[in-house]
Amino acid sequence: KLKPTCREVHRLVSEGMDRDLTLVERARMRLHLMVCGACTRFNVQMDTLRRAMRNFPLGG
Amino acid sequence: MTAPDHLHRQLEAMRPQLVRFALLQLRNESLAEDAVQDALIAVLEQPDRFQGQSSLRTYVTGILKFKIIDCLRAATRERPIEYGEDQSEDDVIDALFLADGHTVDMPRQWGNPDQTLEQKDFFRVLEICLEKLPAKAARIFMMREWLELETEEICKELAISSSNAWVLLYRARLRLRECLDLNWFGAHTVKG
Repeated sequence: KLKPTCREVHRLVSEGMDRDLTLVERARMRLHLMVCGACTRFNVQMDTLRRAMRNFPLGG
Repeated sequence: MTAPDHLHRQLEAMRPQLVRFALLQLRNESLAEDAVQDALIAVLEQPDRFQGQSSLRTYVTGILKFKIIDCLRAATRERPIEYGEDQSEDDVIDALFLADGHTVDMPRQWGNPDQTLEQKDFFRVLEICLEKLPAKAARIFMMREWLELETEEICKELAISSSNAWVLLYRARLRLRECLDLNWFGAHTVKG
């Protein structure tokens, strides 16, 4: 209940792009991201992917 | 050359690229050709609607998106696609994590997104990665991230549950991330 795994946080990062996370889910994810470099990088990668698609196919 | 002639030539020059993008979403050459044709005709019929606030390519792509959405809706009504759970796809997720839920490897640093998105070559690699996605994954991913449809609308169109959609989108993102990681970020020196 207190410490989500990277596996759960990766899923929440992705699902957070498609639905409103609950307050509990968001809190768990944010707390984990504060201390986990791997999940923070994954979060940046997903943000980059979304921004790229918003510019696709033009880009540059 | 008259203005309509000039516009016509510009649109014809764009056609091959537009068909490629429509094909990414529709996965059917004749449907893609039809969607692009409809979009180009819409522009030619009302050239005054293009105000020049964006590039012509951006304007035409915007119209094409709506044509593709119409096309998807018609195709789904005529020939529903089976979007059931595919257990073999779980490998995509399982491969990332250890038994205790931690990541197997530290994800690569992707650097500054602004710099990445300024590079045309990045978008060429992204296009190749999208083409490599399995058809079902590509369709739902493009509906969400390119056509910018809400999840509820996607679920309605594809007759799938929300939880199924979230899992399909998650897998598609993981596949794209892996492809970009190998073919773009792995091949370039990334600065933070």
